[in-house]
Amino acid sequence: MSEAIVVNAVNDAPPTPALLLDGVRYGYAGTRRWVLDGVNLEVAAGRVLGIVGPNEAGKSTLCLVAAGLAPAAIGGRLEGDVLLGGLSTRDANPHQMAQRAGILFQNPVTQLSATAPTVYEEVAFGPRNLGLAVDEIADRVEHALGALRIEALGPRDPMRLSGGQAQLVALASVVALRPPVLVLDEPTSQLDPAGTRLVGEALAGLAAATATAIVVVEHKTWLLADLADACALVADGRVVVHGATADVLADDRLVELGVEPPPAVRLRRAAAVRGVALDSAVVDAVAAARLAADPDTVEPVP
Amino acid sequence: MTAVARLEGVGFVYPDGTRALAGVALELREGERVGIVGQNGSGKSTLVRQLNGLLRPTEGRVTLFGRDTAGVHVAELARTVGLAFQNPDRQIFAASVRSEVAFGARNLGRRGAELDRAVQAALEAVGLEGEAATNPYDLGYSRRKLLALASILAMETPVVVLDEPTTGQDARGVERIQRIVGSLGETGRTVITISHDMRFVAESFQRVIVMRAGRVILDGPPVTVFAAEHAGALASTFLEAPLAARLGERLGLGTTPSESALLDALAAR
Amino acid sequence: MLAIVLAIALAARLGRAMRPYLLATLPLVISILLVNTFLYPGATDRILTLGPVSATWTGLAEALQATARVVAFALSVALLALTTAIDDLLDDLEHRGLGRRTIFVIGSAIRTVPRMIERAGEIVDAQRARGLDTEGSVWRRARGVVPLAGPMVLSALSEVEERTMALEARAFSAPGRRTTLRPLPDRPAERALRWGLFLAAVVLVGLSVSGRFPLP
Repeated sequence: MSEAIVVNAVNDAPPTPALLLDGVRYGYAGTRRWVLDGVNLEVAAGRVLGIVGPNEAGKSTLCLVAAGLAPAAIGGRLEGDVLLGGLSTRDANPHQMAQRAGILFQNPVTQLSATAPTVYEEVAFGPRNLGLAVDEIADRVEHALGALRIEALGPRDPMRLSGGQAQLVALASVVALRPPVLVLDEPTSQLDPAGTRLVGEALAGLAAATATAIVVVEHKTWLLADLADACALVADGRVVVHGATADVLADDRLVELGVEPPPAVRLRRAAAVRGVALDSAVVDAVAAARLAADPDTVEPVP
Repeated sequence: MTAVARLEGVGFVYPDGTRALAGVALELREGERVGIVGQNGSGKSTLVRQLNGLLRPTEGRVTLFGRDTAGVHVAELARTVGLAFQNPDRQIFAASVRSEVAFGARNLGRRGAELDRAVQAALEAVGLEGEAATNPYDLGYSRRKLLALASILAMETPVVVLDEPTTGQDARGVERIQRIVGSLGETGRTVITISHDMRFVAESFQRVIVMRAGRVILDGPPVTVFAAEHAGALASTFLEAPLAARLGERLGLGTTPSESALLDALAAR
Repeated sequence: MLAIVLAIALAARLGRAMRPYLLATLPLVISILLVNTFLYPGATDRILTLGPVSATWTGLAEALQATARVVAFALSVALLALTTAIDDLLDDLEHRGLGRRTIFVIGSAIRTVPRMIERAGEIVDAQRARGLDTEGSVWRRARGVVPLAGPMVLSALSEVEERTMALEARAFSAPGRRTTLRPLPDRPAERALRWGLFLAAVVLVGLSVSGRFPLP
């Protein structure tokens, strides 16, 4: 990942990556299989890494391991090193890990605490757990809501939001803990196109505004084409392809392993197979000219 | 082609006063493959639930094979219309994949060899024949979705409705669903899908119904619905045509809603 | 006591809201009235006779007293439930030292109820759409218990792991006290009233137990 390694003018050593997986193997407790079987990945601060792969490839497990929840919260066997900002995930307990890596899952609703009457208090849940001072909490909540541009949702009831909005609230409540690394496991898979765009834009904004390192697993490769700096194709617990997003998403192995490439790539490839001329620039231009998401039009669930 | 279902002036208002459907008049024919698209809240789910009686029209009427659905129990209408829900975890309760798939068919009265045949065919169609004895919750979410679909397929209803079948599926899963849709159409069954995936709809369905605010605003084959003249109507409900269609329009090839249509047009140029 | 509770309720304009609580006491009240009126041991002042049993005035008086107690109790519970904001109650309990886990269990259970009801509705719909008979004989409907309860329980259980991880990921298991966002004001007058009422209750119970004062 050449763009992840920034050579510092003053000293030649590369800065510690925000997230590093080195020779990682992982197996769930009570099983003998290694779900992850030799994974090497690194993500620098402010960079977005997209993870693609067929179902049951170990991508969700990779998220749990990268965020330190495995083995700290769910047990299991870990070999190799998982370093968050240089610190190993073996040494910390779950609440310390929560401040080093945040995680977001597919289902918007299971991630809300269901104890907060307003979005504001929901986002404050994490900082409250740490016993931070009220001023500090207010500051963090406001920043988190602002970073995701959902200030208007502050007074709303978290249980009465649309899927996309609920995901953003869950994301804000993770961001309020200020983790330098954020891991997202198919955050848009249960959302409609409007919700998907909302979350995609919010992530892009977050990566740009803060120096958060983001790892996002997605089936919607078109979303990664815009969002991710680099991508990794994971199959059978291993990283099969790893590099710049455009290269990985155009790789033939994607299709062989059952991953849907972005529409533009798919069309270009089909045209090539047919021996028909298709101007790549035009394809990319038309693909990029998509409808933007307007948060106000995302209707709440009645 | 025989009319399988008719909605005549159908409207629906929820008990709290929200209107979900207004003035829907549709005819669905034997062997037709129909995709229903629209924003959340446009009435898609409300519409398909009129077909199997989970919701009853507050105005107008619904007929299946000429017979009014009014007064007929949902369990009885399930013989005609099978509805695969979006969330498989709202229906899974059995200890094995096989018993889960057999549930619906069994409720409809199938037994013995006839039941086994239907279950086996359904398992093979979704690729779960090797997991017949597995506990459904040992399967991942995407395969549980296929399981839920299988249990509807085993009911062998003349009309099959799929609610967001491709969400959460990888490319192989989507291909499998496309094959299922194709083979259902070939055997004369009517397939209706609700989907956000415009490409899936454009490639596998011969008729697209676009809904907005409880009304049908477009109804026709993909080549009509995704034509440039309707881009405004689609945009008004925050939908856009698949890339193939947009590209074809940009390259001056007319309306090419599917990949093959686009490539054919390019080759012909 | 019934009079006091009723007075407070009417003052707070809660008359209508009390109805479900009162209805809940109906079966008990009916049985109290019947049993006491007709079967009060040793009473001889009859009102009317129905075969082997007869209604007595003593019995009726006792029945009315018992009913008054039950209704007063129910209304007190109703008053508490209707006038207390559950969030404030939980916040305050936590502020006074009740553990975050207990608070979480109670709070999330309450808030999750509407969602669970919605989910139950979806499950019923999904199973009906697969031919489950929910409108036939009792026997037939009894067979629907597993297909209806099953998905509810299973989906709740399968979500537990993800919910737990989401909580951990938000530092739920951090040691120490959680910050109270909005401490409830506890005015001296309110505190005095609380302690006063508590002492009065202790005195009344003491008097009643020692036989000096019949509690209404």
